[in-house]
Amino acid sequence: MDAVTYPDPVVRAYFKGNIISVRVAFDHETLAKKFGIKWTPALITLDAEGLEHHRTVGFLDPGELIPSLLLGRAKTDFDLDNFEGAIRTLESLLKDYPKSGSTPEAIFLDGVNRYKSSHDPKPLKEAYQRLKAEYPDSEWTKRAYPYRLL
Amino acid sequence: MDDKIQWETELDAALRKAKAEKKTVILDFFNPG
Repeated sequence: MDAVTYPDPVVRAYFKGNIISVRVAFDHETLAKKFGIKWTPALITLDAEGLEHHRTVGFLDPGELIPSLLLGRAKTDFDLDNFEGAIRTLESLLKDYPKSGSTPEAIFLDGVNRYKSSHDPKPLKEAYQRLKAEYPDSEWTKRAYPYRLL
Repeated sequence: MDDKIQWETELDAALRKAKAEKKTVILDFFNPG
């Protein structure tokens, strides 16, 4: 991460504008135990109360880190019932990173957020249809499978 | 201007900043080698 991802200018700009970043060693006396750290790099998205909403383990290149961070932000908003905020973040992810490893989960979560904000089940079915078309083998397509009936 | 990522080292301080700036926190556990 230090050699490739963090020096990337797009990554630096994203961190500067969007994130409060904290870095501790994997064997930090209290935090490593609290968060159950077994391998690095481990990146955890927290809300301002310190609650975890998203986690990745292992190297991410710049084209994967930013969508993962956007997904973490959207999951935080979703968990805090800020569905409109999550939708805005997911729109950005899906527009700028349509082929990332985070994209299938983002499509799923976008459908769920749109349903939660409108109570219209149509976005759930649309999410499944998009996942089936673009990511037929994704676990998120399998998770959305029941939505085909809506 | 130094545009390197500015890493906090204390989680509590980072959470206070996150609250004030309405941002999420990324906590990076790394192996310093």
